[in-house]
Amino acid sequence: MADTTYDVRQVQFEDTDDIDRTEVRSYWTLARQRFVRHRLAVLGAITLVFLIIAAVVVPFIAGDTLRVSASRSFAPAEIVNADGELTLALLGYTRVGYNLFGQLMAATGTSLMIAFAAVLIIVLIGITVGAIAGFAGGWVDNLLMRVVDVALALPGLFIIIAFVAFWGSSIFTIILAIGITGWTLAARLVRAEFLSLREADYVQAARALGASPRRIILRHMLPPALAPIIVAASLGVADSVVLEAALSFIGFGISADQASLGTLLNVAFEYLNREPYLVLFPSVVLILIVLAANFLGDGMRDALDPRQRVAQK
Amino acid sequence: MLSYFIRRVILSIPILLGVAVISFLLVYLAPGDPLSQFRVPNVRPEVLERLEQIYGFNKPLHEQFFGWITNYVQIWNVDAWGISITHRRPVLELIAERMPATFLLMGTSLALTIIIAIPLGMLAAIKQYSIADKIVTTFATIGYAMPSFVLGTYLLYIGAIWTGWFPFRGMTSSLRVAGDPLDIAWHLVLPVSSLAIQSIAGWSRYIRATMLEVLNQDYIRTARAKGLGSNRVNFRHALRNALIPVITLFGLSLPALLGGAVITEGIFSWPGLGSFGLQAVGQRDYPVIMAFVLLGGIAVVVGNLIADILYGVVDPRIKY
Repeated sequence: MADTTYDVRQVQFEDTDDIDRTEVRSYWTLARQRFVRHRLAVLGAITLVFLIIAAVVVPFIAGDTLRVSASRSFAPAEIVNADGELTLALLGYTRVGYNLFGQLMAATGTSLMIAFAAVLIIVLIGITVGAIAGFAGGWVDNLLMRVVDVALALPGLFIIIAFVAFWGSSIFTIILAIGITGWTLAARLVRAEFLSLREADYVQAARALGASPRRIILRHMLPPALAPIIVAASLGVADSVVLEAALSFIGFGISADQASLGTLLNVAFEYLNREPYLVLFPSVVLILIVLAANFLGDGMRDALDPRQRVAQK
Repeated sequence: MLSYFIRRVILSIPILLGVAVISFLLVYLAPGDPLSQFRVPNVRPEVLERLEQIYGFNKPLHEQFFGWITNYVQIWNVDAWGISITHRRPVLELIAERMPATFLLMGTSLALTIIIAIPLGMLAAIKQYSIADKIVTTFATIGYAMPSFVLGTYLLYIGAIWTGWFPFRGMTSSLRVAGDPLDIAWHLVLPVSSLAIQSIAGWSRYIRATMLEVLNQDYIRTARAKGLGSNRVNFRHALRNALIPVITLFGLSLPALLGGAVITEGIFSWPGLGSFGLQAVGQRDYPVIMAFVLLGGIAVVVGNLIADILYGVVDPRIKY
């Protein structure tokens, strides 16, 4: 009979209070909403993006940072030079004719590039060691954690200085030195996540279904363990920028032809009594990067891993 | 307690051995020749051979390592830690000479940090969101973000070059006044402030956070509810518990007490261990470099041990 057919589309709810009308939001939507609420973190992200763009674009436009026919005196700021070329010399020129702003942005690029590459190494080693230790457990875990203890007991900065002094200071050795000394925190974070995830029901289920260790690690355990890693990576950028700057500042880092912020500070230190303002620009950019990366890290922690909010210092 | 202590000491032996291996490999794998400065025409080959023999550079890897490590344990011999290639004197002697300067610098800065950071952090936590809190938090954030060598350079410019109030390098003005406490204190001002400002920033941030956590605990509410004055609650109930995690920071600061601050000592030419280590790297003085890495490792292990023992002393819930 026609009127007994039940059509879902025509069901009318009489009491709408029964329905949960809250919109379903995914993890990433929630994370984005939490992040945007963190004003300083948004400011940090904007600052970093702005610095990266400037570091790429400005040296490209300014071309040769050395001013032609330098007049051996400090020259004021200009955007376009006398010949009508775009120079973006927003901070003027030094006595020897360097375009300060162009030089500063090129150095910012070098510093950021080294920091990102070093953090990449840190994250890769950290994930590998942490995942193996946390997944295998037992004596493997024990052994790897003793290796971490040894790495933590080493005087890090001194080892980096010695490594770079012995193997020659190039961008490559500096990245390597910062990378192979800085992975301990990342390894511990991943290990802790893996140790708890190993016992999770869905991982046990995957194992029972016969998934290979490789599949369990890459598909089931790594994605949820990524949140603390992203936070640690963002804070790691700040640490690496400072480490590289320190290294170049004391003269064991990059040479002047590929200046980083630390190299600029090293040169400026020599002229401290005559031209103190030279110290100001690179150090302000350095502090900006550290602040921005730290705020970004805080924001990411609140966004990706709200549980850690209280636990973290 | 004693058995815990002994167990911890035994457990730290493999860590120190690991540090020794790394320090040895760092030097052994380094490209180049440690005796290169002697390979000049007027040094006879016999002398070079003799030098190689003294330093053991001609032996195989494992023999060199075990020879080195067995020597290292014999601290009662003054040349147990090798002989500096550039200074041509026992490394142990050189380290002992520079230790007091580092100890003075780092000790003063640590003491200042503790005296200043604890009240600052407490103030910020008790008066959360007040103007005082905002000032402390802002100072802490900027101090935390400012690398020590940037701060050191600023202070050097302001304190020594611009105003000329303080000396810009070294520990004594002249040999005539060497050892005069006032003169040393005058030289201490700039390096100590550049170290202390940074650690005060870090510590006060941390103390504020732990204090806030403690202030939210039930027993604080109970204490307030039973009518205790706010001073008694803040100082007797909250502060004492908030300071327990600070012991970790203290333990982490101890290695610096021994190893010194490499860069700050370098900026102010402070005659301590940090600048000594930096020179050794520049001159490839391998025995000194290896000693420095191992000393750093020992300092970390000892610092952690002291922190763990202090935990047991201040927190009766922890039993060994």
